[in-house]
Parts: sequence; structure tokens; C-alpha cells
Amino acid sequence: MRGNIVNQIEAILFVAEKPVSRGEIAKLVGATPRQVDGALAELAQSYSETGLRLAHEGDDWQIVTAPEQASVVAAYLGADRLRVSPASLETLAVIAYRQPVTRAEVEAIRGVNCDQTIYTLMQRRLIEERGRREAPGRPILYGTTWEFLECFGLSSLDELPRALTPEGAIPGGETAPAGDATPT
Amino acid sequence: MLGDRGPNVAIEGFDGPLELLLELVEEKKLDILTVRLGDLADAYLVRVRALPALPADEVASFLALASRLVLLKARSLLPALAPLAEEDEGESEEELRQRLMEYAIVRERAGVLGERLRSGERAFHREGGTPVDLPPRGGEVSALAAAWGRVLALATRQREEEMVAPGERYSVEERTNEIEAIVGERGEITFTELLGPAPTLGWAVVTFISLLDLYRRIVIDLEQNALFTDIVIRKKERPIVTEPTE
Repeated sequence: MRGNIVNQIEAILFVAEKPVSRGEIAKLVGATPRQVDGALAELAQSYSETGLRLAHEGDDWQIVTAPEQASVVAAYLGADRLRVSPASLETLAVIAYRQPVTRAEVEAIRGVNCDQTIYTLMQRRLIEERGRREAPGRPILYGTTWEFLECFGLSSLDELPRALTPEGAIPGGETAPAGDATPT
Repeated sequence: MLGDRGPNVAIEGFDGPLELLLELVEEKKLDILTVRLGDLADAYLVRVRALPALPADEVASFLALASRLVLLKARSLLPALAPLAEEDEGESEEELRQRLMEYAIVRERAGVLGERLRSGERAFHREGGTPVDLPPRGGEVSALAAAWGRVLALATRQREEEMVAPGERYSVEERTNEIEAIVGERGEITFTELLGPAPTLGWAVVTFISLLDLYRRIVIDLEQNALFTDIVIRKKERPIVTEPTE
């Protein structure tokens, strides 16, 4: 039997038309953030056999449809399938795995100018600006969006497919901040 | 800057110099960890030469990598050149290898992401539709029942009226003038009074539209003290309406 907090949270997220933060949930149900975490985990677990999933980006939570049911939902909504060029996918991959990241850093890794692909990804709302790096030129930082998670059927960034290549292949590759930003 | 963004230049499927180099490594089934990058200089140059005409800055990026590869090759052929490397501020073979490996991982991940996208297995959230307009609080079931009773009575009378006097017509304009005169004279009147004891549907509608029109012209004030109570119509104290000039 699920606890009352779990049901309360489910009810809130059911009517919410945008992600609800953990803090807001805690305030609404009168529980500690830790209790909310536990309840959210329980709720996510209880959805595993249903047509719904609990998704989160950082501390913001939302009920979404299960990726396995995408075709019927897309048919109902009349949603078009998203198409992304290989070049944009590469830029997106760098941003998704390294975020927040500057354009110069993306370009350093891909070895090509990424103006166009970043512009396209921004327009499709797959990436967004995440403030600026405190470095010369204060370059804009980019990160992925809710749309990104949804379009790729991910419940959170933790579900990003970890590379088939061992992480250790690049010394300090994934965890260290990606070097000095070149001023743009 | 947005204006001069042309379509992304893709050369024979190569998006950039690193990709071209990586393709060569993969084509030749070489191990990225051990391949001597200088050995790829010739093959790389052949590919670059075969590239169609490109914008200058695109060519430059391919040529920069080509020259790096040629230098690496030269050093491996003439070990005596090696000491010079210390003066060279460019990329060492290991640095270039590292970049290439990093790029290989990015491409692999892009491939995995692309695969996910093609599978179409995505999530959807509840669409933010029109905001829900909640009805005002304090509604009473009894008030609703009373209102329904009045509607029924009105409908019944309407049918009777139709039988007695079909085709009775009310003009909004006449009714507006009439109400304006009444309000001007009395200063204040309720909606129920205006309707009279047995209003027909048509009469009620015309009266209501007239009131809206008068309100719009700032001739009258409308007031309702509580939900479902009678509407009070008052003459507007100082109408801002400009007097029509003769």
C-alpha cells in the first residue's frame, strides 16, 4: 500500500502542466525534502509497469508517458517525429554529456564551427542557455532541456546511455570541467 | 550574426577535419590508440585534394590538420628532426590522438542518441492547455435550482406567447432609448423591474443587450451585490460621452 504522501504527490503532478520542484512539493504536502525524495522514488517505482513514467531534470519533476507507448500517443497528438542531422546530433551529444558547456568547448571537441548546429538545437528547444562561464569573455553556457529528455525518452540525465567506450579512455574526460573557454 | 548562417557545409559526408581523419583510421581498421598518425598524412591529403571547392575557412581547417599530419610523418621519417619539436607550439601526436579519441566517443554517443531518436521511443507530457477558469466560489445548489425554475417558467411563457402573438419583434434600439429614458427619470432600477412580471425570452434578451450597450456607452452603471442577486442599473453620474453636435 502506498503512503499518503505518495498519493498526494501523484495528484499534484497529475494536474501540473509544468514540472514541479522538489521544494514546492515538500511545501505543499508538508513533508521534508528527504521524505519527498523517498515518496518520489516509490512513485517512480510504482509506474514501472504502467503507461506512465516519472521524469525529472535536476529537482524538477513531471509525469510523462512511457517511451514504449510513444507511437500511440504521437498518433493521438498528431506529433511529428523529430529529425536531427548527424552534425547536430554530435553537437547535442557533446552538450548532453558535458553540460554546462560553451560553444568554444563544443567546437574544440568536434573540430568544426558549431554556430549553425547550436542555433538549430536552440530553435528546437533541445538545448538552452545556462548562464555564463566566469571566464574571459563570459561565454554562454549551454545545457539540455526537458524537451531533450522527452524526445530521447529519458527519465533523467542519469539515463543518458553511457558510452560503449570505457570512460577511462579520455583522462579526466567526463568529470573535469572542459578546460579553459576561449573567449568568443 | 544570425543573418549569415548558411546551411552547414558538409563535404562528401565529412563535417570536419577530425571526422575525415577518424574515417581514415576506421576504414583502415587501425587502432586509434596505437596508429602512427603521421602514416595517415598521404591518405588524408588525397582526400583533401578530392574535396570540392570550399569556403576558405573550411579549407583552412582541413589544411591545418593536414600540415600537422605531414609534420608528424616527417618527424617519424627523420628522427633527427625531433629536437625541433620542443620549439614547436603546435599539437603533439599524443595531443592530436587524444582529441581524435575524444571525438570518436562523441561520434559514438551521437550515434546512440540518433538511434534512440529513430526508434521513436519518446515521452510526452501533459500539454499546457487553456488555463482552467474556476467558477466563482459561493455557488449554492438552491440558487441553481431557483434559476432553473425561472428558466422553465420563461420557456413555458415563451411557448404561450408564440401561440398568442407569433412574430412579436423587439428592437434593441427602441428598447435602449426606453431604458435610457427610464434610468434618466428614476436614476435607478433593477433588472427584474425592467423585465416586468412576465417577460418572454425575446424581451429578456433584447433588454439585456440594451443594457450591455448602455454600459458600453458609459450611460449606466451596473452593480450586483452578491452572486445570483438582482442587478441594479444606475444612471452614470457624469457620462463621458461626448454630446453629438447638431
